[in-house]
Amino acid sequence: MTQLISKKDLLAWLGGLLKERLLVAPTRVEDLILFRKVDQVEEIVLDFDNTALSPKEWFFPTTETLFFVERKDGQVELTPATVEQEVVVFGLRPCDASGIAMMDSPFLAEPADTLYQQHREKTTLVGLSCLTACPECFCTSMGSAPNDPTHLDVLLTEVEEGYIVQIVTEKGKALLPDELLSTTEVSPPSPPSPSPVPSEGIVNKMRQNFDAPYWSRVADRCIHCNICAYVCPTCYCFDVRDYTDKGKIERVRSWESCQSPGFTRIAGGYDPRSTKGARMRQRFYHKLLYFPEGFGALHCVGCGRCVRSCPVNIDIREIIQDVQKLGAPSEAR
Amino acid sequence: MKPDNPLLPQLATLQDVIDLTPDIKLFKLQLNDPAVRESFDYQPGQFVFLSAFGVGEAPFTFVSVPYRKTGLEFAVRRIGTVTNALHELEPGATLGVRGSFGNGFPLEEYRGKNIFIIGGGIGMAPLRPIVLTVLDHRDDYGELLIINGARTPQDLVFAPEFDTWAAAPRTKLELTVDAGDENWTGRVALVPSVVSELKLSPLNAIAITCGPPIMIHFTLIELKKLGFADNQIVTTLESKMKCGLGKCARCNVGQKYICQDGPVFTLEQISELIEQF
Repeated sequence: MTQLISKKDLLAWLGGLLKERLLVAPTRVEDLILFRKVDQVEEIVLDFDNTALSPKEWFFPTTETLFFVERKDGQVELTPATVEQEVVVFGLRPCDASGIAMMDSPFLAEPADTLYQQHREKTTLVGLSCLTACPECFCTSMGSAPNDPTHLDVLLTEVEEGYIVQIVTEKGKALLPDELLSTTEVSPPSPPSPSPVPSEGIVNKMRQNFDAPYWSRVADRCIHCNICAYVCPTCYCFDVRDYTDKGKIERVRSWESCQSPGFTRIAGGYDPRSTKGARMRQRFYHKLLYFPEGFGALHCVGCGRCVRSCPVNIDIREIIQDVQKLGAPSEAR
Repeated sequence: MKPDNPLLPQLATLQDVIDLTPDIKLFKLQLNDPAVRESFDYQPGQFVFLSAFGVGEAPFTFVSVPYRKTGLEFAVRRIGTVTNALHELEPGATLGVRGSFGNGFPLEEYRGKNIFIIGGGIGMAPLRPIVLTVLDHRDDYGELLIINGARTPQDLVFAPEFDTWAAAPRTKLELTVDAGDENWTGRVALVPSVVSELKLSPLNAIAITCGPPIMIHFTLIELKKLGFADNQIVTTLESKMKCGLGKCARCNVGQKYICQDGPVFTLEQISELIEQF
């Protein structure tokens, strides 16, 4: 039995939600589609390939205060920041939900990151299946699918009559009451087929090719703009700094990238990864060897954003293909 | 205050600041919360993040041992943003302490063995708790040889303790400097060449070294030449790090995070890493 919600009811439901909690959904910001706070249902864009940025910033903000430091009568007091607001992220693609699940692995590992955990607990994820594949995306090669409900609370799939509803979790059930749903005989459309990438066995291939000159060569054209980490739904490196303004001190965490020169430079000047080749290798080894070894999954969801965004066309799909061929008998001589 | 927030420091008060060298100070701290003070535990080789509020936090290894109940002690070289700020602090100041982190030295495994401590400059910091532990439990360990090197005589760390160390039974202290001064009558040699000259015997021994990367590099070569196996050579790795929890993804060497899997590694463990620092 398939459940359905009409488009009219969906919008009415979202309209109700945004009155009681923070509703984050794809909206048009100049010529980009971005996840933004929605004040009126009309702002929500339902017809899009994928958003320019993943919704990662709603769990792991680009910059976020960890705690405040106050001096009262000569005594120092620390007040940790907390997340109070209930949030619904509407309209994320299954690949991006998979990206959030990947961030869970390091951030929720004991001892869990307090703020991230609070963001996660307060947020419900309502996803939208992809009806078309973007030219650069390859989720099916990375363990996900255009209609994968796994890491969502609710998944909606658009059909002519409205949206097929899959309630995945209790949290999803609590958000979307049965009364709004009808049953239907409509069957979901067959999902699109993104172009495959030869990811099978890549972990082993990475293990064998750490010292290949390939990494320096790929890195040569990198201009360390860090856009790859910025748009990536799985990258989670962060920096922590203190800011003082008019005597008020905050400790702040911000996104950081392993591609930044100086990412590993320690006081005194020593930098174990001082070359572009070493830093680029770190990026792809984290994604295709270290994270899989630590957490059991390739650290890429195949959203294709880094491929679209890189100004010098460094393409993880090509890298996976190239590494599969490295050390092959024809090139070993 | 939620004590279980792993990024939130505990408050501590600076009890004493002692000049160890022209650019290294010893900081003695006491945690403010009596309950936290009571439950706070650490091992030689582990580290904490110290916060100079308004400037930031950085990782520092303990130079004290927990059982002496001297409070938490750190040797801090003035070399970057946070250490500059720490050097400006005076007794009574409030700091943040977050930890303890890391694996520490497996001192139980060293019992009964001859111990060679090979430190250069501020690299003596993580090694001092081993020296203290061996001296305080002298019968549990074999011979103790401490090679302590520095750029100049006044840069030798822990100088006030040298007499005590040298006078301990079955203990030798070898000091060396890169360049002497008018009062220096001791050795003028680089640490790796002292290792070579003293012909340390690998028999039932463990060699533990920490110092500048270049010193460690050549010390390892000398130890290998002397016949030390990779599992008899121990060092601590240093890295930029932000969390100590394996989350900020900054301090990995290949598959390992220095903050959690280290900072103490045998050469055998380091050789197994895909990446070499």
